[in-house]
Amino acid sequence: MQTDELIAHLSGELEPVRGTEVARILAAGLALGLMGSALLMALTIGIRPDIVPAMSGGAFWLKFLYTLVVTVLGLKLVERLSRPGTEARWPALLIAVPVLALMGMMAMQMMPADSATRHALLMGHSADVCSVLIAGLALPLFASLFWSLRRLAPTRLTEAGAAAGLLAGSAAATIYAFHCTESTATFIAIWYTAGIALTTLMGAALGRFVLRW
Amino acid sequence: MIQQEAQYRAWMLAALAGDAAAYRMLLQGLTRHLRGYYAKRLGAAAAEDVVQETLIAIHAKRATYDPTRPFTAWVYGIARYKLMDEYRRGHRKATVPLEEAGELFGADEAEAAGTRRDVEKLLAKLPQAKRDLVRAIKLDGQSIADEAARTGMSETSVKVTVHRALKSLGEELGGSNADR
Repeated sequence: MQTDELIAHLSGELEPVRGTEVARILAAGLALGLMGSALLMALTIGIRPDIVPAMSGGAFWLKFLYTLVVTVLGLKLVERLSRPGTEARWPALLIAVPVLALMGMMAMQMMPADSATRHALLMGHSADVCSVLIAGLALPLFASLFWSLRRLAPTRLTEAGAAAGLLAGSAAATIYAFHCTESTATFIAIWYTAGIALTTLMGAALGRFVLRW
Repeated sequence: MIQQEAQYRAWMLAALAGDAAAYRMLLQGLTRHLRGYYAKRLGAAAAEDVVQETLIAIHAKRATYDPTRPFTAWVYGIARYKLMDEYRRGHRKATVPLEEAGELFGADEAEAAGTRRDVEKLLAKLPQAKRDLVRAIKLDGQSIADEAARTGMSETSVKVTVHRALKSLGEELGGSNADR
């Protein structure tokens, strides 16, 4: 086909586009993934039995707040990276804020503790499974967010993949918080962060294969 | 240059609202840039296919243009992505240096847009009143007399304010260069 014909064809089939299209596609991917992850958790490891009393304690909300803040920043990052010609530096740098804040709380717990207490704080009772379960619960989110991104136009595929992985991991960790009975800032700072880092790396590795358009 | 950005952006906004005539002008204009851009890198024979692919990508992904950002940067992002894709398929050099960002629309143009962005960043460091004065007189070309009348300041104090503001920005620049 001649380029002129192509242009005539494309302008002939032009339809108006809503300004909210990108937001709608990302929201659909996130919502679908959250439902998938919640369902996956309900069918496998389940919600902690004491969820109602636990929700009146600070530890539950600390976990929730941490993962939620990272989720919001991750969403901003994915949105930026899904558009050509956009920078994503500030949301990427801002992610350091919640992480460092929690690390600060961890330092305050660890410093005065003796070595046995430190070990208990670090390992909790689920250190061996926490990060892996978060990464596992992130799989539906991974799939749906990558599906969203492919409908958009990421041009830096490794970065976009990493951002989608970060978002999948932090959203999955938010869901995992309804299962997990750990309650110390130290445990969350280490193992939740490790889970999210794991999915971020997975996303970065997959990005340039899966996100091509 | 900046006018080109404004013209293309205006066409794009109209196209997003469904204006087929504006869209056609946009694609025809972009085709000329794309042809030159790809011909230089892939040879004239291979260029036309990639031009068409890029036009189709622009069409399919047009919802990802954020009207608050420069249109030329958006198009360049797609053009560069398609070029890399082409290199990858041909197992040729798989990276395209980012310094080429201005290549699509001519280097002077990207420079101007970059300079304008830098100026805005600098201006943001001034307090509101000073910023308005500097922008009106130094960027928009208003006369000192008009600004004096608008703000109720004397002409002398307008001059002094602008002079001091520019001086403080100059120091700001000197400082951040020294940091590097």
